[in-house]
Amino acid sequence: MKALILDGSRDEEVFSRGVRQALVRRLTAVGFEVEAVALRAMEIRHCVGCFGCWVQTPGECMIDDCARGITRAYIASDVVVFFTPVTFGGYSSELKKVLDRIICLVSPFFDRINGEVHHKPRYRRYPRLMGVGVQPRPDRESEEIFTSLVARNAINMHVPAHAAAVIDSHQPGEIVEETLRSLIDDLRVGT
Amino acid sequence: MSVSPRALLLVGSAKKPRSTSESLGSYLMARMAENGYETESVSVHRSHRTPQSLEFLLDAVDGCDLLVLAFPLYIDSLPALLIRTLEVIAAHRTRADNHRRQRLVAIVNNGFPEAAQNEIALRICRRFATEAGFHWSGGLALGGGEAINGRPLTEAGKMARNIVSALDLTAAALAAGEPIPDRAIRLMARPIIWSRIYTWLGTRGWRRRAAKHGVESRLHDRPYQS
Repeated sequence: MKALILDGSRDEEVFSRGVRQALVRRLTAVGFEVEAVALRAMEIRHCVGCFGCWVQTPGECMIDDCARGITRAYIASDVVVFFTPVTFGGYSSELKKVLDRIICLVSPFFDRINGEVHHKPRYRRYPRLMGVGVQPRPDRESEEIFTSLVARNAINMHVPAHAAAVIDSHQPGEIVEETLRSLIDDLRVGT
Repeated sequence: MSVSPRALLLVGSAKKPRSTSESLGSYLMARMAENGYETESVSVHRSHRTPQSLEFLLDAVDGCDLLVLAFPLYIDSLPALLIRTLEVIAAHRTRADNHRRQRLVAIVNNGFPEAAQNEIALRICRRFATEAGFHWSGGLALGGGEAINGRPLTEAGKMARNIVSALDLTAAALAAGEPIPDRAIRLMARPIIWSRIYTWLGTRGWRRRAAKHGVESRLHDRPYQS
């Protein structure tokens, strides 16, 4: 099983690094081969909304940079982790710059899910999605936005299972470990 | 001597030459100008080209009384470069002394028929307002923005009548120092066209655009299938 961690940290902040390392340990312990990608170190251009990935080079972004390799790794994974400092309740720009570029993984055509219009899947299977947000202090509103955003992404990216949590730097190590364990359990990997 | 209040439009779309975000924001700016505001428009894509252009943006934000964010929904949220811009503005404002009351509103449009799909993006904007020291004055959500396709609203005909009414009400309220009224929010959220017609037109549009590039038969390709 493969797990891909998309790390949207803006810098190598000590607490975030500790959470990411604990996450790698947890995933490895339950049998995952883990790849963690520090997005801030990668040259990834911004999506320009051209829809070329749908109508000119179907399934592949027209911009030839590191985002193509990440997109390939994304769809080949069993679990993808959105790891990010919680930014106004959502994702950091470092994480979002790659998420904007993976729209090629879905079809331009439409489907109806729970009464809403969404894009149809392009692939037969999609990875499970885990969202892990890190913030300096507890903030209920940001947590609610973050978990809602991951749930919405799960619909649009056709994920079979998703889980999300926000970890703050006041939490002791055992609570962080328990949260990560619980997130992995919630993904129901292997079912 | 009285000084005109300033409204700054920050367009978060990369589409050229015009975007629906720009259409919506420009219309509101025109109405704010009629209400005595001095208006200015900045594209986030142009703002990140040089350190000088980013400084220019920060100066414009510092000097405005009303900041308007207009952007397309990307994967349930704001486009990455707009998030980057908000990160820079928030960091700048924690350093700078700025005690003036500045208001923030947001207008988000998406490519699905349902305006409700913009809800989380508006919550993120509201949260930005709190963290960066702006007074949140509300948000407008539009579904089916592709139907406008970057045209000026004055040229979009009956299709845009609810949008125009919503923005007229919004401008009047903001000029009076009030938040966006509920009626404007409801009008903006009304479907531009019936959902099934929108998706039928959309499907036809994707096929035509693909045919123009000679790839209609490849629309379902899976280049990363292992």
